[in-house]
Amino acid sequence: MKNAAFKDAAQGHLNDQQDPSGQEPNRALGIPDATRRCRWIADDIKASAFGLFFVSPSPERARLVPCLDSDFPGTGVATRFIAGANGEDIVRHTRTSTAPHWWADDGMPGSQGAFLALEWAERIAPLVPGTNGIAFPVHADRGQCGLVIFMGPDIVLPAGLLYDIHARCFALFSAVAGTHPGDAGKARSISKRELECLKLTANGNTSEEIAKLLKLSVHTANQYLTQSAQKLNAVNRNQAVAKALRLGLIE
Amino acid sequence: MRTDSGPKQQMSSPAPLHRTEILEHRASNQTHEGRPNTSIEHRDNAKGEHTSRPDALSARLSSRGDLTSFLMELTAEVGADSYMLVAIVHDQDRSDARIISSNWIFDAIELIGKRLIANLAQGTLTAAPGVRPRPLVAAHAPAANGLVDGEEARLLDVLGHSEIYSLRLHVGRQRLFVLFSAAEVGQIDEPTLVKAQMKCCYALSRIPQLIAAAAMQDPLSDRERECLFWVSEGKTTDEVAVILGVSSNTVNSYITHAIQKFAASNRAMAIATAIRSGII
Repeated sequence: MKNAAFKDAAQGHLNDQQDPSGQEPNRALGIPDATRRCRWIADDIKASAFGLFFVSPSPERARLVPCLDSDFPGTGVATRFIAGANGEDIVRHTRTSTAPHWWADDGMPGSQGAFLALEWAERIAPLVPGTNGIAFPVHADRGQCGLVIFMGPDIVLPAGLLYDIHARCFALFSAVAGTHPGDAGKARSISKRELECLKLTANGNTSEEIAKLLKLSVHTANQYLTQSAQKLNAVNRNQAVAKALRLGLIE
Repeated sequence: MRTDSGPKQQMSSPAPLHRTEILEHRASNQTHEGRPNTSIEHRDNAKGEHTSRPDALSARLSSRGDLTSFLMELTAEVGADSYMLVAIVHDQDRSDARIISSNWIFDAIELIGKRLIANLAQGTLTAAPGVRPRPLVAAHAPAANGLVDGEEARLLDVLGHSEIYSLRLHVGRQRLFVLFSAAEVGQIDEPTLVKAQMKCCYALSRIPQLIAAAAMQDPLSDRERECLFWVSEGKTTDEVAVILGVSSNTVNSYITHAIQKFAASNRAMAIATAIRSGII
């Protein structure tokens, strides 16, 4: 009961936050809060377990990296199972499509009618044997890509809820992805001049050209770039440019 | 040359077929914008299925015609008058809109311009899935934000785009934008819009090649993309060579090709272009 009251209050609060700016709300969402929000979604479809995974950005290692799950602060067995399995198919799917995937263990009572809303979507082999489940591909604005998975024997997805649930998964993921890179805190101390240099580098200018454009010495331009790389925890300027773009520091 | 072995491994190599579709699209862009009724047959088909399956998601969706009828149906559903599906292409720090499908009249597109359309599509009012959408109301636009100036707002108003919603769509890693607009402010139903956004993501996910070809966002081969990704992670040529198990000359040649394909002047710029278009 108490939980439900808190949920309502907090959700009201979230909606308040969304309204005025409309920008991606709740940018800085910690793992405990994110887990709580994920549990609300899980409750609405009667899922007993859930997990949020990042799809590793490397094109070579196709795997799911666990971020949070229903056993917070621990890690659930199911999560370890999914992360350990060969996730190549589901990762490829997530990178190319936004349609949800579902699986049902036919031995379980009631699994037939659980996913009527997903009749059109692809049914896959169970990610975790002995359960029913849904996997929602999610994406954030800086190209991060992930999967929110719900599981449980009683899981049910009414037709009217599909879009709403998936949209909430998107919002949750973009809030989590916003806090994911550990460099964001330090990155705030980057000066305007350093950002200018980074931006010009991203547009293909060399240090000499930057020096000319900003009326600096080449040495100073290089120093700005070195400093910004340090602040972004990057090893060279290529990585610094990549990180600055992914963090949204430059456009 | 060793580089020739790379592109063979592509998983998502666009088949030659798509090229013809792009051309067909370009050609049709001119003629069919003003005549949305060209696809009336498709539309009736889709409607037929619509009644039996409430979400029409199982309806056939394989050609550009299907896409048009799907979007027109969606436009009617949310109460809007016009739709426009665009991909954003990046050229240095400027963006341009590549229109994939639209029922805006030709003159409107010409007068408003692709640059402004790109701004509208990915501007501050654009809603990601799960974020409450907010409209651009042409009548108070200049005061409310820097997206359009007074003259442009007046033009939008006159052309029947008094209220414009921009929604960001994710089709796998591809990012697209759909604009729904209406002549009357308040005409578009917001709750339906949120549903339509996800529905659009699902539907477009089923025609990834069509979308990728129309957007032409990713010119890279798998190997080139991989190399560029590792360079963006701060790896040197030699390190990438070890990671991928090829010689550093091969790595350099992949990267050079990537730089050429983006018409970039160096590695940093190629990385920036790739990240801006969501390729890596």
